[in-house]
Amino acid sequence: MPIPQQFGRGDKMGRGPYEKSGLIRETSLHPNKTKVEKFEIPLYTEEKKDDKIVRNPIAYDFIVDVELWYLPYGKKDDPDNSIMWKKYTKQINLAKGGK
Amino acid sequence: MKFFKILLIMLFIVLPLTLFAKSQDKPKKAKTIAELVKMYDSSSCKDCHSDIYEEWKKSLHARSIFGPEHVGRTAATFKTTIELGLKDWQASGVKKPEDVRVKHLMICTKCHLPQLEEAEDSVAQEIVKHIYKFVDEGDENSAAILQQLNINCVVCHNRNAIIHKWTEGYPQKGVVYGTKDGDHPDSTYKKMKKSSVMKESILCGQCHGLGPNFEFDNPSQCATLYGSYLWSYVSEGGTKTCQQCHIQESKLGHNMQSYRSKELYEKAVDMKVDAYAYLWRDVVTPTPAAHVKVELTNKAGHVIPDG
Ligand code: HEC
Ligand code: HEC
Ligand code: HEC
Ligand code: HEC
Ligand code: HEC
Repeated sequence: MPIPQQFGRGDKMGRGPYEKSGLIRETSLHPNKTKVEKFEIPLYTEEKKDDKIVRNPIAYDFIVDVELWYLPYGKKDDPDNSIMWKKYTKQINLAKGGK
Repeated sequence: MKFFKILLIMLFIVLPLTLFAKSQDKPKKAKTIAELVKMYDSSSCKDCHSDIYEEWKKSLHARSIFGPEHVGRTAATFKTTIELGLKDWQASGVKKPEDVRVKHLMICTKCHLPQLEEAEDSVAQEIVKHIYKFVDEGDENSAAILQQLNINCVVCHNRNAIIHKWTEGYPQKGVVYGTKDGDHPDSTYKKMKKSSVMKESILCGQCHGLGPNFEFDNPSQCATLYGSYLWSYVSEGGTKTCQQCHIQESKLGHNMQSYRSKELYEKAVDMKVDAYAYLWRDVVTPTPAAHVKVELTNKAGHVIPDG
């Protein structure tokens, strides 16, 4: 959500239309502009073996779900005001064996 | 001396008469909600434009000081405005809900109910009473009364259909403004005239906001979407109008919708995703990881979300 400024001054966000008059931070999507978000997801549990760190895969096959939600009032469990706009699913895997 | 007396008496007679005539020229303001509803009565439109009427009825314009059906968020936010805003501000003149006047509600109704300008303070009082009854007690009758006040056919096709009034003249009584001139079979609105902005974005822009509303003694800010249409969409080469996307391409006609409706949200954002897993070496430690890249492109004519 864009972060509007309370009474057009200072560092406090204003929420109600009666107190908003400005913008502290703009986080909305602008038309015909592409926004890229990258996520690095660790797939391991960590342990120490002979004084060395070892990272073991939690599995080899994964399903990646990416969902785009519109939450005008910030909550997902608000049935009238949480809408899933898009969903993407892909199977990915780590190769077994090798070094 | 006698002549002077007669002249004076005549002046006295003439003066009140002219004053009276002046006050008759001005349209009378509504004293009750019922009178305001009647001034903007659009129930006859249903008889001949029934499809358009049914579409409009589903839109938020049909409950513009109430908000989404059953929820009534707009009414609730009007109450918050009184409780956390007006009552708290030292120079607003509002100590209790009974002090709220038309000028106080205008910081919201400029766009949510522009015709409130043609109402007396007694109407503001009645509205406030029903807002509290609905929000505090869930009173269904109050909810129904609040929903009689809205942005209806007559607001868009008469009151707000001319924006440059010095250039083109003020909207006339008994005329529906649309896309052509001619006779119109309605018993009150007997003429049709072309509005030069009916198919232009500015028609919607007059209520969909630019930023803070500086004309008020205490500026409000709600919708700012017309601002982002001008400065972020048109400025980057966008050429469609609000009407093209919301009325025509959506195929929803007068049921102007947004994020809740499939017709619009399916077109709102292009999402491209790429994902894969790999084994990274963190210096020497083999580290299983996944990389997910998400690209979002806003295809609407303004920022998402508005606010
Ligand atoms: C008795 C039937 C009838 C009623 C009642 C009626 N209309 Fe119409 N209206 C028509 C017809 C028929 C036309 C098309 C006239 C033409 O094209 O020559 C029309 C045309 C219009 C147009 C212009 C359409 C365009 O293409 O530009 C508007 C706007 C309009 N009506 C609005 C209204 C509104 C608002 C009301 C209610 C206050 C209303 N009408 C009530 C029958 C009616
Ligand atoms: C510049 C015009 C304008 C002013 C002034 C304005 N609003 Fe709005 N408001 C809108 C428009 C247009 C929308 C719908 C667009 C949107 O939701 O993005 C809206 C949406 C809302 C909503 C969300 C409704 C929903 O669908 O959930 C609330 C609540 C609201 N306004 C309350 C207020 C209050 C209270 C005030 C006064 C303090 C106010 N507004 C002042 C134009 C305005
Ligand atoms: C929020 C503003 C708004 C409201 C409310 C509204 N209209 Fe319209 N109307 C428009 C606009 C804009 C157009 C031109 C649409 C276009 O560009 O295709 C239009 C077009 C029309 C037309 C002619 C084109 C057609 O679709 O047949 C008629 C007739 C009409 N409206 C009647 C009505 C009636 C009856 C109501 C009330 C139930 C109503 N309008 C409420 C904005 C509005
Ligand atoms: C007279 C002022 C006015 C005009 C003119 C107007 N709107 Fe609105 N519009 C509003 C208000 C106020 C709301 C929000 C009502 C609420 O829920 O409180 C709204 C709501 C909407 C919504 C729904 C937003 C949501 O949150 O789902 C859309 C879409 C919309 N308008 C599009 C348009 C388009 C397109 C036009 C021009 C054809 C237009 N409006 C003309 C005042 C106006
Ligand atoms: C290129 C097509 C396009 C144009 C042009 C366009 N819109 Fe939209 N609009 C959309 C789509 C798609 C959505 C759904 C995404 C959303 O709700 O944010 C939307 C959403 C909205 C919303 C809800 C915003 C929110 O917070 O979710 C309002 C209000 C609105 N439009 C009004 C307008 C007005 C007024 C104009 C003209 C000034 C306009 N739109 C121009 C496509 C368009």
